[in-house]
Amino acid sequence: MGLNDYGWLMIQGMLLLLFSPLVNGIIKKVKARIQRRVGPSILQSYRDVIKFLKREAVTSYHTSWITSVTPYVCFSAYFVAGSMIPLWRSISTSDVIVFIYLFALARFFLALSALEPASAFGGMGSSREMMIATLVEPVLVLGLFGMVAFVGTTDLGILTGAGQNPAGIFAFIGLLLVTVAETGRIPVDNPDTHLELTMVHEGMLLEYSGRQLGLLHLAAMVKQTILLVLLVQLFFPAPIISAPWFFLLLAVKVVFLGFILALIESTNVKMRLFRLPELLVGGAVFCIISIFMKFF
Amino acid sequence: MSNPHFWEELRSQKWSGNLSMAAGKIRLDVNPKNYRDVLAFLEKSRAILLTMAGTDERPINGNFGVYTVFYFPDAKEILEIALSIEEEELRYPSATPIFASAHWLEREIRDMLGIIPDGHPDLRRLAVHPDWPEGLFPLRKDFVTGTKVPRVEGQIDFCTVEGEGIYQIPVGPIHAGIIEPGHFRFYAFGEDVINLQAQLFYTHRGIEKEAEGKHFSNVMLIAERICGACSVSHALAYAQAVESLTQAEIPERAKVLRTILSEMERLYNHIGDIGNMCAGIGFALGISRGAILKEKIMRQNMNLFGHRYLRGTIIPGGVKKDLPEQDLCSWLDDTEAELKQLTDLILSSNGLLERMQTTGVLHYEDAWALGAVGPAARAAGLDRDLRRDLPYAAYQELSMRVPLQQDGDVYCRLLQRIEECGVTFDLLRQALNILPQGELSAEITELPPYQTALGWTESARGANVHWIMSGENNTIYRYMVRSASHCNWPVLPLCVPGNIVPDFPLINKSFELCYACLDR
Repeated sequence: MGLNDYGWLMIQGMLLLLFSPLVNGIIKKVKARIQRRVGPSILQSYRDVIKFLKREAVTSYHTSWITSVTPYVCFSAYFVAGSMIPLWRSISTSDVIVFIYLFALARFFLALSALEPASAFGGMGSSREMMIATLVEPVLVLGLFGMVAFVGTTDLGILTGAGQNPAGIFAFIGLLLVTVAETGRIPVDNPDTHLELTMVHEGMLLEYSGRQLGLLHLAAMVKQTILLVLLVQLFFPAPIISAPWFFLLLAVKVVFLGFILALIESTNVKMRLFRLPELLVGGAVFCIISIFMKFF
Repeated sequence: MSNPHFWEELRSQKWSGNLSMAAGKIRLDVNPKNYRDVLAFLEKSRAILLTMAGTDERPINGNFGVYTVFYFPDAKEILEIALSIEEEELRYPSATPIFASAHWLEREIRDMLGIIPDGHPDLRRLAVHPDWPEGLFPLRKDFVTGTKVPRVEGQIDFCTVEGEGIYQIPVGPIHAGIIEPGHFRFYAFGEDVINLQAQLFYTHRGIEKEAEGKHFSNVMLIAERICGACSVSHALAYAQAVESLTQAEIPERAKVLRTILSEMERLYNHIGDIGNMCAGIGFALGISRGAILKEKIMRQNMNLFGHRYLRGTIIPGGVKKDLPEQDLCSWLDDTEAELKQLTDLILSSNGLLERMQTTGVLHYEDAWALGAVGPAARAAGLDRDLRRDLPYAAYQELSMRVPLQQDGDVYCRLLQRIEECGVTFDLLRQALNILPQGELSAEITELPPYQTALGWTESARGANVHWIMSGENNTIYRYMVRSASHCNWPVLPLCVPGNIVPDFPLINKSFELCYACLDR
């Protein structure tokens, strides 16, 4: 991998960063239309992030460096993870395991920082997040390893299109569940809840404000776009054509997946917390089937 | 009451000396010494506690008064027990050991007037928080409205639960949504709730105090504003209390119009609540469809009576707004069809059933003991509905069915509201059919002084009971409002232990309790 490739990956990460608030805005708009509301403009997520980034962060006296470092850790972890997915050019980037652990790193710091100010909601948020994480991570690992089994490498850069086979259908279902859970959507979590007692992801952000909150919101949106892009690249990759057309096609596919997320979210009910294992174990089973299909 | 010889037996008791009939109810003056005997006798005859009011009657006769009002659903009769308590004494035997539903009422009387119920199991502060100084009682006549009261040091006294792995979750009083203040203290083991306590009464408005000394028609405006979503119900309960003190004959048309107003209020409340319960489980489609339907009904309210919340429609003596000539029946059919679509959508969701069934169970015994009211009580199988038990307005002339559920969980409360909407559509059609022509109101000019009276309605949340005592020159001497939420708030914490913390918002929404109805 040459210097040129690094430059290309950086550009790719920046593009993800630039467009992820738009993806979030479109999902919100679709949800609003399904509920027969006008909904905020699709650019609202940009305005929110810019507003937060302009503001000073207020932190509790009781917190340590963890609280101030977490927004940056989360943001950079997702930025790096985003740069790793090969988009236009199939180049060897990095190991899938690094990708998975970047997600885990961000989650670890976020859960830790939510515990720090010792508020009741933060603690509940982290404990629930960790419970869900123990269920989501195996599904993510199994889903990606299904792909790995087919292609024969753990290099994320080579995995593009690895899900285009019968086994991929099962892995897709499993990874779609992961996407729903990781983006904090119904039936796992409720992204626009004001019900303090049911929050998971939002509960962990409660003590953050201003710049730090803006960065964490942005990080969550980048994460959402990464997962959508990853699904597209693994299962429905675009043919390698000229760059503008390629990105347009990719964007259309990502938005289409966003539609599906919005649809799932609007027509489903948030599950009872302790029923989540059943849902996610279901996802794991799909991924395991896809791995077995390679060998039988 | 199941005993046909009740009144004879009551008369044969040694304490039954002062039995009198006034303002549509039977009044029994009792020496506080005999109060317990009276209550034990009433408990055996399955009387139901409606309300309790304390009064400061020192300017009239030098004593304090405590009035306990019961009703007998079978005989459709109301009995008021009047205690006169001397200022030096300021104690009376507590009713709570016999009628558990009196426990909040007695604590409130203690907080507001300083009359101590002897033998009450829990005399912590309730309506007045611990940062209020000792010995200052806002509802006494010598407490002047507007007095600046110094704050004192005081800690809210919660019963604590201790043990390894048990932690406290304080929630509120300020919440994330646009709702009123209330503090909830959870004790949880992991996600399992072991104990829940609620501290309410954060924004006391002094409504009852404000009403004192005002002309009865001005108090009408206050009554209407106790609660936003129960305007008609509170206004009607107050108007009926005033009317029962006079000989005024309410015109038939007014009675039927009052029924229509009450049912329109119930309709938008129930449908709003059905939609809101979807918010407890994050079912976005149900929330928005419920909100749209509720809005349609409120616009119809605006169109028919000139106010979305139907304010300014009821006056003592009748109604103020007439129903315009319009084809309401087809509107009712349309709305009922739309509601059917909404409920089909909601009930077809398996996830919803899974979340709601067996969640937040209210047991029949608890509902009975604590005197739960409204849809919450009926969803637990407690067959109480004042529209049938003590008919007012035109309910006597309409035939109505009272739906009941058995399990008392969140799902039953949802079904109960859906079925009650059906009853409401039916009642509205009947009322429109029998609506006679005629006057809208009778004139009420004079109230007899120092008489007590009672007015009641079955609101969307349950029984709203207004107790008044008239003063001189057509004023109100004492005004006591017992709202449905006042009855049901103490019931809610019983339904939560055994559920998990994230289910609390759903349970809370299924009761749909009103904070403002407590902060009178």
